Amino acid sequence: MPDQETESVAASCWSCGASLGTGSPICSSCGKVQATSADADYFAVFELSRKLNIDTKALERGFYKLSRKLHPDLYAQAPVQEQQWSLDQSSLLNDAYRALKDPVRRTEYLLTLEGMKLEPEKGDAGKAARAPADLLEEVFELNMQLEEMRMNRKMGEDDPQLRQDLVNAKDQFEGQLRDNDIQIQNLWAAWDTAVDAGDPSQQDQLKTQMVASLDRRRYIRNLVRDVNETLES
Amino acid sequence: MAYSDKVIDHYNNPRNVGQLDKSSQEVGTGLVGAPECGDVMRLQIKVNPETQVIEEAKFKTFGCGSAIASSSLATEWVKGKTVDEALDIKNTDIVKELALPPVKIHCSVLAEDAIRAAIGDWKKKNGVAEGEAVAQPVAAH
Ligand code: FES
Ligand SMILES: [Zn+2]
Repeated sequence: MPDQETESVAASCWSCGASLGTGSPICSSCGKVQATSADADYFAVFELSRKLNIDTKALERGFYKLSRKLHPDLYAQAPVQEQQWSLDQSSLLNDAYRALKDPVRRTEYLLTLEGMKLEPEKGDAGKAARAPADLLEEVFELNMQLEEMRMNRKMGEDDPQLRQDLVNAKDQFEGQLRDNDIQIQNLWAAWDTAVDAGDPSQQDQLKTQMVASLDRRRYIRNLVRDVNETLES
Repeated sequence: MAYSDKVIDHYNNPRNVGQLDKSSQEVGTGLVGAPECGDVMRLQIKVNPETQVIEEAKFKTFGCGSAIASSSLATEWVKGKTVDEALDIKNTDIVKELALPPVKIHCSVLAEDAIRAAIGDWKKKNGVAEGEAVAQPVAAH
């Protein structure tokens, strides 16, 4: 059932009474700006279902079209209430576009929207998620090398072999990052299929997998950054 | 952020830094990481096969001051305890002892996880099921 979210919670236009999808910024019948609704999510702003493969060109076009229609300048003569709404809708639109145009941010947003917890909150006792277990050995080894490298630096020494080892390690992590990105893309496709099929248990499983993939991505990116900083310092 | 005196003490004079022979039957190794900050911790224990008392503990931590202090303290605490007693050590005990602020609680969680992982590894090596008490001699299998 596509567009389930936008159809099931319908609202109506304050001015002409026409029924609207939740989050529609403008009434399609009379063209009046609407109040932002508390349950308007970023997908609803663009009248999209919660899928992950988005035509970003179409998204961009939709964004410009809506921004023009909502532009506060157009409402300079309108009643104060509508002026305010146009401001609210414009800023919501900007947030929505920024979050949806980048596929990773889009995924993070979708997962939060779907009630998943992305980064384990610091200070959340006992709930600290595990770092990817299969990476720990390599990460520990990498840290040993980084420490040695920094130590050498301090002593004014250079160890070409060590430097090479680090470059190799970095290449390897970058390779894993690419593999992980492919995996994430496959998850997007699987998610969209599950949304179309209206299969909640499959969706739940995919959500968990996407969280793990994003955590892994963040983790490896931090490692690569650490190596780069040490190599360049 | 201000570290407590105890954290600073452990940080400046970490106890039991180093490593034990990973391949030894008597040694359990725990390697854990915190995804929030990327910190990694290795904690190892050497267990007396007769008494199940932890006779030796070593750690190596790449992480913040609190993680180093937590693992240093953890090695001190597990020494002289049986593996079962050591499993009773909670991250909240570490938080209390080191006066860690809320944002640093995950560092103590890492230390608790490391103890558990090391004991788990030792149990696996020695054919003790996870969660099974080891106070009595283990039946051969
Ligand atoms: S900040 Fe991550 S272990 Fe301390
Ligand atoms: Zn209307």
